[in-house]
Amino acid sequence: MDYFSTALIAATVIGALCGLVGSLVVLRRRTFFAQALTHATFPGAVAAAMLGLSIPLGAFVASIAIVGIMTVIGRVRRQGSQVASGIVLTAGFALGVLLQALNPSLPVHVDSFLVGSILTTTGSDIGLAGGVLVVAVLVIVFFGKELLFSTFDASGYRAAGYREWPMELLTLGLITATVVTAMPAVGAILAIALIAAPAAAARLLARTTGQILVAAPVLGATAGISGVLLSRALDVAAGPAIALTAAAFFLLALAVRQIRSRAGSSRTAALPTRPASGRAAARASLGWES
Amino acid sequence: MNENDSQPRTAAPLALHVAGASFAYAQTPALEDVAFDLRAGEAVALIGPNGSGKSTLLKGVLGLIHRTAGTVEVLGESPAPAGAVGYVPQADELDPEFPVTLEQVVMMGRYRSLGWLRLPGKRDRAHVAAALEAVGLSERARTRFGELSGGQQQRGLLARALASGPRLLLLDEPFNGLDQENRNALVDTVKRLKADGVAVLISTHDLELARDVCESVLLLNGGQVAFGPLDEVLSLENVQRTFRSVGVELDEHTVVVPSHTGH
Repeated sequence: MDYFSTALIAATVIGALCGLVGSLVVLRRRTFFAQALTHATFPGAVAAAMLGLSIPLGAFVASIAIVGIMTVIGRVRRQGSQVASGIVLTAGFALGVLLQALNPSLPVHVDSFLVGSILTTTGSDIGLAGGVLVVAVLVIVFFGKELLFSTFDASGYRAAGYREWPMELLTLGLITATVVTAMPAVGAILAIALIAAPAAAARLLARTTGQILVAAPVLGATAGISGVLLSRALDVAAGPAIALTAAAFFLLALAVRQIRSRAGSSRTAALPTRPASGRAAARASLGWES
Repeated sequence: MNENDSQPRTAAPLALHVAGASFAYAQTPALEDVAFDLRAGEAVALIGPNGSGKSTLLKGVLGLIHRTAGTVEVLGESPAPAGAVGYVPQADELDPEFPVTLEQVVMMGRYRSLGWLRLPGKRDRAHVAAALEAVGLSERARTRFGELSGGQQQRGLLARALASGPRLLLLDEPFNGLDQENRNALVDTVKRLKADGVAVLISTHDLELARDVCESVLLLNGGQVAFGPLDEVLSLENVQRTFRSVGVELDEHTVVVPSHTGH
């Protein structure tokens, strides 16, 4: 198989995975967490490259460490998870840049960890992403109702006798695995665009969570394929093309929603007034009343 | 009928037993030394100003916050037996944009008894339909939860609690901001539940409601001011002590509390 077909398959699988897990990220409001995670996996990847280890493995180990650190910081009183994510985001990124600067003779292009290089993805990259996608689908099929309940009403969920941490851990695990497997293709920095944008777009237009869980992976895969095709047609880097396509989907969804709600509100607001006062005023001003 | 006062109170078994209980958020004490009993088929009104510990007590009974002292037993067990307690939170704590239908929300009440890895079946759907019927929202089943009015959302959350078949029902300010129609629907539902032997604990600012559906009143203000039968406990002196105000007026229906901003 030529590198371009491989890239298209990688874009489809990773796009669908990011869209599906992105639905959980968006519904559970974990976007900033995912963002921090994408940046923090960067030093893990650089360190793995330095040591000659598997890059996804390095990124994965770094993610586990980072989730641990974020949990601890998040528990400090009056800090909270947003602060934890903010600190980890910048510190992780700085650490990666520092490691890179200390080792100018690294065998791989560190740039590709940041913006990805989907044209050089391998069969094992795709296999890994496909495996995570299957796990994500199974998790949503088998734990869908608990995920829905705990996401919609966390205190009601606990009041019903559930513990919150299993669902939280499951979600964080899926986000981490997704970020790690998406990194070779779209990079640490751009992965968040593919995770957040298709799901956020689906969220704007869907009426049910079921619709989001179908629409977001489709949008994600479409963004992936479009990005790869655009990159060949326009001779630009694939990672940014994918990220920009995903962002364009979000803006499009936002526009559709605006138009929809405007149509809805003008219908309800204008109906009672227009026939009576509007026409009467027009007639009066034209002198038809006299 | 359970509302008949001539019936001996000891006839019904204890649904909730609270003795010498104190609760805290992290290290900060929130509510101290509460003791009261609630029997099957009866209702207790929790009355006190904002921040007096009404929600804290409900969360303490649910085990959502830390109990620092005393006993809380539901149906004689501690912690409460699974599925025995239904909880109706305030609807405005939920995301109105969340893409979920009323029917789906009510179905959440079935999840615990359904267990892990299993999807709702015919029987669960029948429970959901009956719960929606009980709160008068059958026609709105497919409506997105956030599109319902505040009062309908509150009734929807009550339906979710009913769908789980609770023996003890906890309602957190269920009548806040309700219009007369929603209010009457809620009062009727609570009365029917009591007739079916469900014990009900309601936090409220509304004395009229307490008179309509509750046998007993628990006055709170950071601790327990008084507990007992409605007519004995709702004296002018007790209510003044609860609201720490000399401007309290007590009449047939409401407490008027100057400078009190609650509903």
